[in-house]
Amino acid sequence: MEWQALWLSLRLSCWTTLILLAIGLPAAHWLTFSPRRWKFLVEAVVALPLVLPPTVLGFYILLAIGPHSPAGRLYATLTGGMLPFSFQGLLVASVLYSLPFAVQPFASGFAAVDGRLIEASWCLGVSRTATFFRVIAPLSIPSIVTGMILSFAHTLGEFGVVLMVGGNLAGITRTVSISIFDDVQSLNYAAAMHTSLALLGISFVVLAATYGLRRRVWAAWPMN
Amino acid sequence: MADELNVDVRKRHAGGPEIAAALVLRLSAHSVTVLFGPSGAGKSTVLRMVAGLDKPDEGSIRCGGEVWYDGARRVNQAPQKRRVGYLSQDYALFPHLTVRGNVAYGAHGLGVEEVLASFALTDLAARYPRQLSGGQLQRVALARALAAQPRVLLLDEPLSALDAPARLRMRADLRQLLTSVQMPAIVVTHDRNEALSLGDSIAVMIDGKLRQAGAVGSVFDFPADADVADAVGIETICPARVVSRSAGLVTVEIGQARLVAVDTGGGSAEVFACIRAESVTIERNPPGNPTSARNHLAGRIVSLMPEGPLARVVLDCGFRLTAIVTRQAEEEMRLREGERVTAAVKATSIRIVPRG
Repeated sequence: MEWQALWLSLRLSCWTTLILLAIGLPAAHWLTFSPRRWKFLVEAVVALPLVLPPTVLGFYILLAIGPHSPAGRLYATLTGGMLPFSFQGLLVASVLYSLPFAVQPFASGFAAVDGRLIEASWCLGVSRTATFFRVIAPLSIPSIVTGMILSFAHTLGEFGVVLMVGGNLAGITRTVSISIFDDVQSLNYAAAMHTSLALLGISFVVLAATYGLRRRVWAAWPMN
Repeated sequence: MADELNVDVRKRHAGGPEIAAALVLRLSAHSVTVLFGPSGAGKSTVLRMVAGLDKPDEGSIRCGGEVWYDGARRVNQAPQKRRVGYLSQDYALFPHLTVRGNVAYGAHGLGVEEVLASFALTDLAARYPRQLSGGQLQRVALARALAAQPRVLLLDEPLSALDAPARLRMRADLRQLLTSVQMPAIVVTHDRNEALSLGDSIAVMIDGKLRQAGAVGSVFDFPADADVADAVGIETICPARVVSRSAGLVTVEIGQARLVAVDTGGGSAEVFACIRAESVTIERNPPGNPTSARNHLAGRIVSLMPEGPLARVVLDCGFRLTAIVTRQAEEEMRLREGERVTAAVKATSIRIVPRG
């Protein structure tokens, strides 16, 4: 049983979800309400991780954050460290990998908000940003929660991208899925079984708790 | 100029008529201007352009000393800056906020309780919009708009979301509310009764163009052209030819029939004669007793249609003439379809408008 790997995966999932909340909400807002004609291109880029093999995505991320890339050099001058094969590098990869799982539910939630409510808010003198926080976001809470759960669960179970970008350093980049792969490779089936079971249990509890909670919260939600 | 809302805008959009509207609203007058016209005439779009929700193609919108929109100078103020109280057809209350939350939304914490009290909403303050009736929703929407202290109210078909009995009740209430809030208002409606009961002045829009503006009574009684006459519900509008003019009276010919009317046709030979059904009286016998009516027309009853306590009678006098009589008169005169009667119309009740 790999407690260290499990703990690392949970930390990675939490941070990824938080970062995706911070960048996914404005991104989804832009995708939903921007009048730009070329926004379909951005939509396609955001959705790429859904169809690209994780190894392809991981390979490009590795190149993009490597010590010879502009991003890697900038990171090195700022922190003195390197992104590949570090927890921070893993975090960057996870955020990109799970981006559509956050942005798409957010955006569909925003799009479902009645445009007349948004116009009513503007006419009452409330700015676009404040309208987002006072009308659009509160009316999209179910979609926002869905996006967060999907990001969390997707990060918890990722494998290919992690392997490409993070490698397999215990306590730094060895996530729970990699530790299971390792155990199976070395024919340590008992350890693999325990870790798999723990991951299964955690995933089920997280999903069951959120869906259960959601039902109770939405039942009392004034929208219904 | 300082206290006027001055709108002069043009806008083309796919699937609708080109909109061209110019109107001036005095902000000091606390009066209600009705923007009236058939559905699809572009009334709502004009209102949305004033609110800043739709952008005109060209023209200008000025309010007091401020420029809200100027196509030539590329000025287009955001709705947030314009301080208009805009009410969409379905009121658009925030479903996740209580009545108090809705009213307080744009109020900066000022005077919320006073506004709630003055709209008799204090008892409903903790309710959510889904728990309110249509009439209550409308009061909340008005209260919310007024709590943000707008300079002008813009109401888009304010009664259309209500069912028929509530609409009648709210019509009187709304007029009273609009009078009591001392705020200039523009009300969009396609309903003649609403226009008559809510408006002080009226602007008639047809096919995207503003056709006539003025006091409600004068526009309804003296439409400028046949389209406006039709829009304000004048039942008989007939093409006619001027035969002679003298002493302020004009004689026109419609087929075989001749009518004498007060001359308002502006000198043209081809005109429309517009006659309201209420001003046509029906006589059973050929005219023997002299009446003040200048025009007596022999005709045959084409159709008889009961409308509550009244009946609508369509006559064929060489042209179709619609009259309204009481059911009682219909009974007494024993009017039947196909029978011959005489219609009488005063010269002052016929409105002559130029044709072409």
